[in-house]
Amino acid sequence: MSTAPLSQPYPLALLRPAAPLLPLLPALVLLPVLALLPGLVHGGGWDLIGRFALAALTPSLDPVVIQAALAGLAITLGMALLGWIASLALGVVLGLASSRVVWQVCGGCRWPAGMIRRLLALPRSIHELLWGLLLLQLVGLQPVVAVLAIAIPYGALVARVLADLLDGLDSRRLEALRSAGAPAPAALLTALGPPLLPGLLSYGGYRLECALRSATLLGVFGLGGLGTDLKLTLQSLEFRELWTGLWLLLAVMLTLETLLGWLRRRWLMPRRLDLRRGGVGGRGREMLLLLLALPPLALLVGRALGVDPQALLHGQPLPGLDSADWAGVWALPWLQLVAGTLLLTLLAAALAVGLAPLQLLLAGPGRWGQGVLRFSWALGRLWPPPLTALLLLFLLQPGVITAALALGFHNLGILGRLLLESSEDVGPAVEEALSCAGSGPRLALLYGRLSPMARPYLAYGAYRADVMLRETVVVGLVGAAGLGSQLLESLSAFAWDQVLALVAVYALLTLAGEELSDRLRRSLLAGH
Amino acid sequence: MGTGGTTQADDLADIVGQSLRMPMPIRLRATAMVAGLSLALVPLLAPLTGGPGAGLPPALAQQSQGLKVLRISAIPDQKPEKLNRLYPLVAQELSQQLGVTVKYVPMVDYPAAVSAFRTGDLDLVWFGGLTGVQARLQKSGAKVVAQRDIDASFNSIFIASTRSGLQPFRQQKGLTSLKGRRFTFGSESSTSGRLMPQYFLTQAGVKLSDFADGAPGFSGSHDATIALVSSGAYDAGVVNEQVWLSSLKDGKANPTKVIALWKSPGYQDYHWIAQPNLDQRFGKGFSSRLTKAILAWRPSDPKQKQILELFGAQKFVPASASSYGRIEQVGRQIGKIR
Repeated sequence: MSTAPLSQPYPLALLRPAAPLLPLLPALVLLPVLALLPGLVHGGGWDLIGRFALAALTPSLDPVVIQAALAGLAITLGMALLGWIASLALGVVLGLASSRVVWQVCGGCRWPAGMIRRLLALPRSIHELLWGLLLLQLVGLQPVVAVLAIAIPYGALVARVLADLLDGLDSRRLEALRSAGAPAPAALLTALGPPLLPGLLSYGGYRLECALRSATLLGVFGLGGLGTDLKLTLQSLEFRELWTGLWLLLAVMLTLETLLGWLRRRWLMPRRLDLRRGGVGGRGREMLLLLLALPPLALLVGRALGVDPQALLHGQPLPGLDSADWAGVWALPWLQLVAGTLLLTLLAAALAVGLAPLQLLLAGPGRWGQGVLRFSWALGRLWPPPLTALLLLFLLQPGVITAALALGFHNLGILGRLLLESSEDVGPAVEEALSCAGSGPRLALLYGRLSPMARPYLAYGAYRADVMLRETVVVGLVGAAGLGSQLLESLSAFAWDQVLALVAVYALLTLAGEELSDRLRRSLLAGH
Repeated sequence: MGTGGTTQADDLADIVGQSLRMPMPIRLRATAMVAGLSLALVPLLAPLTGGPGAGLPPALAQQSQGLKVLRISAIPDQKPEKLNRLYPLVAQELSQQLGVTVKYVPMVDYPAAVSAFRTGDLDLVWFGGLTGVQARLQKSGAKVVAQRDIDASFNSIFIASTRSGLQPFRQQKGLTSLKGRRFTFGSESSTSGRLMPQYFLTQAGVKLSDFADGAPGFSGSHDATIALVSSGAYDAGVVNEQVWLSSLKDGKANPTKVIALWKSPGYQDYHWIAQPNLDQRFGKGFSSRLTKAILAWRPSDPKQKQILELFGAQKFVPASASSYGRIEQVGRQIGKIR
């Protein structure tokens, strides 16, 4: 089921005039943004932006700087890897526990699955940064904090996806095995294991890319690694040193993405007619070996980073909750904060979802245009949104639009890559046919490639909007940007009552947003 | 929630990677493993390139070495390069004076330093006025160790870019000329870069919403404020006097680009604060030995001279919690202390 939405050609789509324009629709948000932008530019920092751009060409090559950046990068990678491994382990256990099929087969009833699913919504709805900042208060400045901050929300996400995959599988084989008398665990493994593997593997790999981005972001907020260096060098305007770190991070990110993509293709898309292949079980051996390599690898990396799970046992309570001022919490401008957060999410989502296809069209099918596009999207994925926000402040006034630009730029990078690569999957047939029939290259691109994937792309956009709602917290630095800004302010005043209330509101909002984007997505996917 | 539609969309991200492209030559099979493993092993470079505890998560590294390490830190009020030059020197000197291992743990922002002190990850911290009060309120029994000679009457300097056309003034009322300008503080929790300046602004009748864009900026540190105001990204800002003077001296602040507008009245600022349990951990009388060691720094000793110069002081003097009453009061007024 995983390849269904994009690889199926939709013959009817060409007859619908709206389909090609559908993914371009969110780009309409550009009109108000562009109209408001000139009023926001204060232009004071062109000088700094120039220096920043120039520094990209002349990053610092000082061995001390490079060594520090490498050390930071190693820590960030280590945090990402450990958090990812832990989240996979957590996710598989919790995913099995929240699967209806598993409960049905093992326990004879399904309701515990639903319960666990609801419980898991809570850890999932809180952004890893919030987990990090809260854990930091509870257990102190330990490397294990960053690992756990990634593992908790990611674990819950993996669990949800795994449970959905499990419950969506064809259960006939399972029933056959059970009625033939196979014990429950064996039947589950045999019947559901193999068909589950592709979805799980490819989703697992994708989470590793996310974990690298998260680990960098956590660093920006003081949890160590390269992110910390990036923030400090930007704040002290040492742009050449900043770019040393950014280029290294870019290299690692692209390597990781390429490698994961390659492994996915290798393991999941075997060539059917390849008779030279080493027979049955070849890929399985590789997977098993890699899987077996993960726990010792985790141990090694954990030792190198100084991760000490025992530190979690020496927790301390949050201070100042006994003297909580709930009346003061109630008096916060909640309506304004929530409205600001929602506005920020919508703006950023519309920008990211709408701009990706628009840029793809403008760049056209040529090599050069696409190259520039790929590069700018890679930079978007690379730069943690708070850094982009700080840069934008050199030119723009603080506020929701500035925050939305920063958040939108980051997600544009993620969505753009998805769009580009899935547009390659659509295949050239329709586009070439249109070209031969005399339509221009851009028109052929629009009708031949973009329109068949309009709906699944928008459906993914709805999911991404949901992610962005969670992410609004990271651009709180820009000020006047809803709950995120208030949260940072409350954190620096050590107002734990406010912090807890804000986190709770965030969780509620994300859960509501998730529900909404689920519905939107379902209707988009069903609509054609 | 959690039906087929969800998963389909989630999976879209992955379809990306699953797309069929040119199949790999068979000999690359082994390479897959090697490549995967070697990428995963990159983090192991950490100890090679940075030494244990390089980067930030280091508070932990010390703990595993036993509790006999005195972990010192400071609020990151200036450029990391300067802090990285100063505090390792301090650690070296204290280690020599006290005969214990002393380690400097860098911090990324002010509240993080307060939190790390509260959770017991830092033993001795160079706090500002406000962060020091916050730290003591969160950790009962924490001891005020010492302050610099300049901290009993510390000043803030309001600065402006020469392009802004703002002119120096002598009366506090002159602060009203900042209304409608783009203005930046330093860190949100800075005493000389935010707390007291905001107090003086309020006294002069300037509200935070009077600045351009309806709110001031927060640059994060004094050096950043000077750089941002010099570049013109902000018309004006406020920094502590000691950083301002040293930036003028070493040429970081260019008088043709940034000028001083007004010097604030004096107030209590920076001080060293120590954990309450040092005597239990390092032996009876350790806290007072620590205080004596810091108070004994003199410019006559070449190494101590270097430290004092970086601190911008002649010597350290005794300090007491009671002198920070006014800071606490102002902190409560603007909601930074609760």
